[in-house]
Amino acid sequence: MAAVAAELRKALTLPAALAGLAVAVLAPAALAVLYAAQGTAGSAAQAALDAAPMVTIGAIVLGVVAVSSEYGGGRQIAGTLAAMPRRRTVLAAKAATVAVLIAAAAAVAFPVALLAARLVGGTGPAPDDVVGRAAGTGVYAVLIGLIALAITTLTRNGIVPLIVLIANGSVVSVSFLLSLATPLALYLPDLAGMRMLAGDDRIAIDDALAPLPGGLVMAAWTAALLAVAAVVLGRRDA
Amino acid sequence: MLLFDDVVKRRGARDVLSGVTFTARPGRVTGFLGPNGAGKSSTLRILLGLDRATSGTALVAGRPYRELRHPLRTIGSVLDGSGAHRSRTARQHLAWVARSNGIPRRRVGEVLEQVGLADAARVRAGRLSLGMGQRLGLAAALLGEPAALVLDEPVNGLDPEGIRWIRGLLRAHADAGGTVLLSSHLMSEVAELADDLVVIAAGRVVAAGPLAAVTAGHRTLEDAFFALTSGGAP
Repeated sequence: MAAVAAELRKALTLPAALAGLAVAVLAPAALAVLYAAQGTAGSAAQAALDAAPMVTIGAIVLGVVAVSSEYGGGRQIAGTLAAMPRRRTVLAAKAATVAVLIAAAAAVAFPVALLAARLVGGTGPAPDDVVGRAAGTGVYAVLIGLIALAITTLTRNGIVPLIVLIANGSVVSVSFLLSLATPLALYLPDLAGMRMLAGDDRIAIDDALAPLPGGLVMAAWTAALLAVAAVVLGRRDA
Repeated sequence: MLLFDDVVKRRGARDVLSGVTFTARPGRVTGFLGPNGAGKSSTLRILLGLDRATSGTALVAGRPYRELRHPLRTIGSVLDGSGAHRSRTARQHLAWVARSNGIPRRRVGEVLEQVGLADAARVRAGRLSLGMGQRLGLAAALLGEPAALVLDEPVNGLDPEGIRWIRGLLRAHADAGGTVLLSSHLMSEVAELADDLVVIAAGRVVAAGPLAAVTAGHRTLEDAFFALTSGGAP
């Protein structure tokens, strides 16, 4: 518990982590306002749901900087491991911190986006299961943040995971392109969880896994990557 | 208190440490002396559980560092600068370190006062001078009121007044029964402060014992140092 409290304090005094939190909360609201102003979504709830995946960008930033800050800006890792020599405990504390912060950010971001969209575009007819789908986005964000944390633990540098995770989700989706060649790509962590982010009618992939099995596949990836990160962190010289 | 028993560290084909054995005792300042690249930092990093020894053991109060539950209450260390992330303030840095080892929050203010950083508590670590960074590192080491202090090149970046101050602090710590192990490549620093000496060259301990015994037969510590380290190198 002391390790979690220490890691939480570290995250909340790190400007880059606070920027990640701000992006996670504000970016969905900004996009929801845009959708609502254009009137394309049909309702405030749909605008907020369509904008909610923006929370994942902040989640990735949080997951990355929680670890990359240990290796840049003064090589803090020696101090961290001198204070907390049980390395699995450190990784678990970081994972718990990142998960809690992302979940909290997602829980704040959706109502804020919804409220902002209502103020701009009015309420409109609500789609089905708004809360469930908003929660799905939150789960996706937590899992992708933990995947970012695990990958950064392996690379000890934030640049590569930031590029891979954010570019793969926005600029060019390698996973999506692979899915055109083989249905196995649907089991890659980002595509597996895709239906938690968006309804079947809003994604360009046929036969994407349903939210629950997809979420479980993504969670299995997350657990596996964290396990590998724990072994590597435990064995290597700091 | 601090015990190294036949510590070997191999990196690839290179032997960084070949059977390092010595003890740092309570009530004594132990100077760990050697040229750059001799293996001083590697030895200390293995003691602190940061690097893994290829073989041999390093023990703190009879236990490997990684088994200490709240290590900072037993042993404080300073390696290479403050160890703080550049964008955290001195106070923020010490606050998480204290929290991680269940150290009461009031200690943060106390150690800031003790190392002379009370006025710089809200300055980001990246903006501290080299000497102030060393003081912040020392503040973190003192947080848990540990019996043992381990310092890697502690006088780097300190001005003459700072050097005099740290000497007084370490002397007082040992006189109060604490264990002090400090590495240096500066003989004059160690000669004025150490009770015991351990001299390392090319990953091997070439001399260890009370200051007078190690320097016996040589005019100065400097003469002893060069005689020992040139003989010990392959």
